[in-house]
Amino acid sequence: MMKWKTLGYFTKITMGGAICAAGMLLGLSTHAIAADDLDLSGFVENATYIRDGRGLSKFRNTAQLEVMKSFDSSFFSSFSFNGILRATYDGVYDLNDDEFGKDSQESYLGQNWHSRGDMTTDLDLLGGKPILAPPVAFPCDNDKQLCSNLSGYMDLDENDVKFPDFNDEWDFIREFYLDATIDLASGDQFSVRLGKQQVVWGKTDLFRVLDVVNPVDYSRQNIYDELEDIRIPQWILQSELRMGPTGIFDDFNTSVVWNFDKFRPNTLGQSGQPYAIVDAGAFFSTYINADAHPGLAPLYPLGPVPVIYDVDVPNWSLSNTQVGLKWEGVYRDTTFSLNGLLYRQQMPSLHLREHPAAPGSGLPAADGAYTIEFPRVKLIGGSIDYYSQAIDSVLRLETTFTQGEELVRDKNGYKETDMFRYVLGFDKNQIIPLLNKKRAFLISAQLFGQNILDHEHDMPDYKSNYTGTLLVRGWWDYDRISPAIIMARDFRSDGMAIAPSIDWLPTDNLKITLGANIKSGGKKKFDTVISDNFTGQSMPNDYEPLARFTNGPIGVANQEDEVQLTIRYSF
Amino acid sequence: MRKIILALMGLTLLTGTAFAATVEEMENSFNPYKNGFPTVEGIKPGMVIDANNWQVAEDVIDPAFLQYIQAGYYSIRIGESFSFDVNPNFIEQTKARLGKAKLGDKPGQISNADAGRPFVEEPSLDDPRAGEKLAWNFKYGHSQGDEWLIDPWFWKYNDMKSGKKERQLRFNFHFRKFNHRYLTDPTKPAWTPNPSNVFRSTFLTVEKPFDVKNTQVLVQRYEDDTKLDNSYIYLGFQRRVRRLSSGQTTDAFLGSDIMLEDFEGYNGRLSDMTWTYLGTKPMLVPMYKHNEEPTDDEVYTDDPDGYRMTKFIGTGNCFPDVSWQLRTVYVVESKPVDPNHPVGKRLHYMDVQTATIPLTNVYDRAGKLWRSFTIGYTHADFDVKENKGTDVVMYNFFSMVDPQVMHCTTGQFKTVTSSPSTTPNVFTVQHMRAVGR
Repeated sequence: MMKWKTLGYFTKITMGGAICAAGMLLGLSTHAIAADDLDLSGFVENATYIRDGRGLSKFRNTAQLEVMKSFDSSFFSSFSFNGILRATYDGVYDLNDDEFGKDSQESYLGQNWHSRGDMTTDLDLLGGKPILAPPVAFPCDNDKQLCSNLSGYMDLDENDVKFPDFNDEWDFIREFYLDATIDLASGDQFSVRLGKQQVVWGKTDLFRVLDVVNPVDYSRQNIYDELEDIRIPQWILQSELRMGPTGIFDDFNTSVVWNFDKFRPNTLGQSGQPYAIVDAGAFFSTYINADAHPGLAPLYPLGPVPVIYDVDVPNWSLSNTQVGLKWEGVYRDTTFSLNGLLYRQQMPSLHLREHPAAPGSGLPAADGAYTIEFPRVKLIGGSIDYYSQAIDSVLRLETTFTQGEELVRDKNGYKETDMFRYVLGFDKNQIIPLLNKKRAFLISAQLFGQNILDHEHDMPDYKSNYTGTLLVRGWWDYDRISPAIIMARDFRSDGMAIAPSIDWLPTDNLKITLGANIKSGGKKKFDTVISDNFTGQSMPNDYEPLARFTNGPIGVANQEDEVQLTIRYSF
Repeated sequence: MRKIILALMGLTLLTGTAFAATVEEMENSFNPYKNGFPTVEGIKPGMVIDANNWQVAEDVIDPAFLQYIQAGYYSIRIGESFSFDVNPNFIEQTKARLGKAKLGDKPGQISNADAGRPFVEEPSLDDPRAGEKLAWNFKYGHSQGDEWLIDPWFWKYNDMKSGKKERQLRFNFHFRKFNHRYLTDPTKPAWTPNPSNVFRSTFLTVEKPFDVKNTQVLVQRYEDDTKLDNSYIYLGFQRRVRRLSSGQTTDAFLGSDIMLEDFEGYNGRLSDMTWTYLGTKPMLVPMYKHNEEPTDDEVYTDDPDGYRMTKFIGTGNCFPDVSWQLRTVYVVESKPVDPNHPVGKRLHYMDVQTATIPLTNVYDRAGKLWRSFTIGYTHADFDVKENKGTDVVMYNFFSMVDPQVMHCTTGQFKTVTSSPSTTPNVFTVQHMRAVGR
């Protein structure tokens, strides 16, 4: 397989430009091609975001080409091919390289979301160094040791993130699958979808509960981009038996999902990138200054200790593939599903490596403190949507119970725990005559809940936590102007995000979106024992390294207020 | 005993009389022009009614169009009147159920009306529920057949002041009746399985423009008129099917000039309106032979059979370039039960023979004309080749004009009855997910 990492900057630009140009040219000839039952469409887009205090945070240029071709078949009732190619170049690393990219620097770990704490304040004990060193931006451009330790995950160089689609997994192929359906004698339909694809199980916005078949790329814009754009497509075989209306159900369906692709975790964003969810990438690319401690120095002759020693991304093997099963149906005013999935945790789990010379001490090994693992997880879940005529609203429930997930602990590395998650949703279309007599507003509220069933007091996350979201969208001027506001509130950590936006369609091909994204939070501290152990005294003023999990993705991004302009031309 | 015999004789006589009268009325209902079409002095086929001569047709032109003609927005071309014969299966179903349909105590309730035209008797101004009966005839009509496909369907949003086309959408729509079927097998008007007793389903896909491309909507309308629709939406950029709350029937469909409630003349629950029959009169209506009318040579030019869309002309290109014929219509008023409804009333002009509603005027709460909705009906023999010989009245354009803000939404479409692609599976949530992109 071609290694995209080996391709140069200009080669990737050329490839992206070729996709863009091909898209535009094909777009211009869409009518002629459509006559042959080939549907071609796509867009070119520029997204320019300005971050308060940092300047340009995104200058993403995207060209996407979408292909759908139906084939006549005497055997299948329908047979088609679908493909989506995407080429992205983010110019922020060239245009604002003081703030983002391989040359960017932070004075201390977490500078981009909190003030200094005990773990990041220079200590006399350590010869004027903090316990945790400032992160290294793009380790694979700047630090061979870290890059080597992070190999397989978080090991992208600046060139890779400028062109995120052109990687070893060929992510520029967003989708590439065949769809075939056979009409059975019983009247049922059996269908197969094979290829690189997204499988969408859940119905939630912003956060995922059931929708975990594909991992996601949070480095694109944290949790705020549409899931369609940040799901990482996987090579999957999906088969369905669609029974349609039966004696009881208005619709009934069984589907099996086999994700036979190599496991891929969520992309979190690295140190030096504008979007790095819970700033985990920065933590993973820093050092513990254990060697500077007068009492510990003999244990660490190699110098500072990398936080991450190794990443254990499961190799491809049949036993490492992931399997899901879903039953879904409609019964009168209720839509339901029952889901089961055997998969791997998509967020990293940190396993502490103790120093071999000091077993039981909790001191990190000299060549790295943690290994990143992705444990196996069993999920069962389900969803119910109910339309209530009495209140003319849709009520949604989506829930999962998992076994096998691992959460980090302060004193004891990690713990495997059962997890219970749910979302309660409320959707309503409502005309508000005072604002718009002709067009109904979409009002959608969600309450996410997460319960850590085997919670320990030294876990940097709440036993029970709740996040509420609200979306209100309206339309004016014959749907050519559409303002919206999205709000999200992490109740326990006091994180809050408000994202107003307005879409304007000057023509049927052009959309201009002006928005803002304002966040607050990130004030919760988590008192780690590491600083106490290092100094031999109580040091409760800690954000690092674990309060990032306490504050969550909303709070940690509290210094990422932005004005955002996106211009998309579609063909 | 003698009294009993006389009573039975009387009952037999009454029943027989009633039955005979009903058969006659049924024939009048389905063939109202056996003695000729209405005529108006000064109006002849081939002439054009415009701002200079509207007076000659003043009494037979819909009030909204009279206003448009007087203002010079449009002129009406007069065509020959001809019969839209009703499919014999539908007539047979009606005959087999003559006099059986009964209204319930409340609006929206009906019984013994599983097929055919429920009420064939000539409406009476003395019957306070005559309007409601006509509304049921419309709802359970034979228009478009058992299932039909509209593909493609072009919607244009036009500014009448500037003449500018602001937006153009392309859809395909599938419709299927699960009850009140007559074409496939008139002895089985109800399709099975149908566990929730759905009356009719609609499934639409937006093909263009990009911002709404791949949006799908599925609407299940129940036999129980008092029950709200179940609706589902699939958004291409979200790739998931969600239920929709469906009670906001006055919502402008995708921002157009058309409320969900406006479709086909009236698309809500009958029980949401108070229906009043106001009279019967001759009227010019846009019913024509599509293949003999001018067509649009720009919007759709690659049909494999050479089919072309209805051409739009006049101010803002808001009006159809079709011929209008003199026919007999029932004038029916519908007033919203909800006092907060934005519509004050609608005046429907219902074609007697087909029970379709080619013309509807919508008035606001102040009683001022708000919008006029026009649907063009073509004779099936002069339409898409698949429709020939079906005796099904087919629609292929609409126009919704808002004279208050000088804006319109027009629709040009190709409708195929009994389309083989409009299978029951199309109207399922799973289908939305399966074909979703």
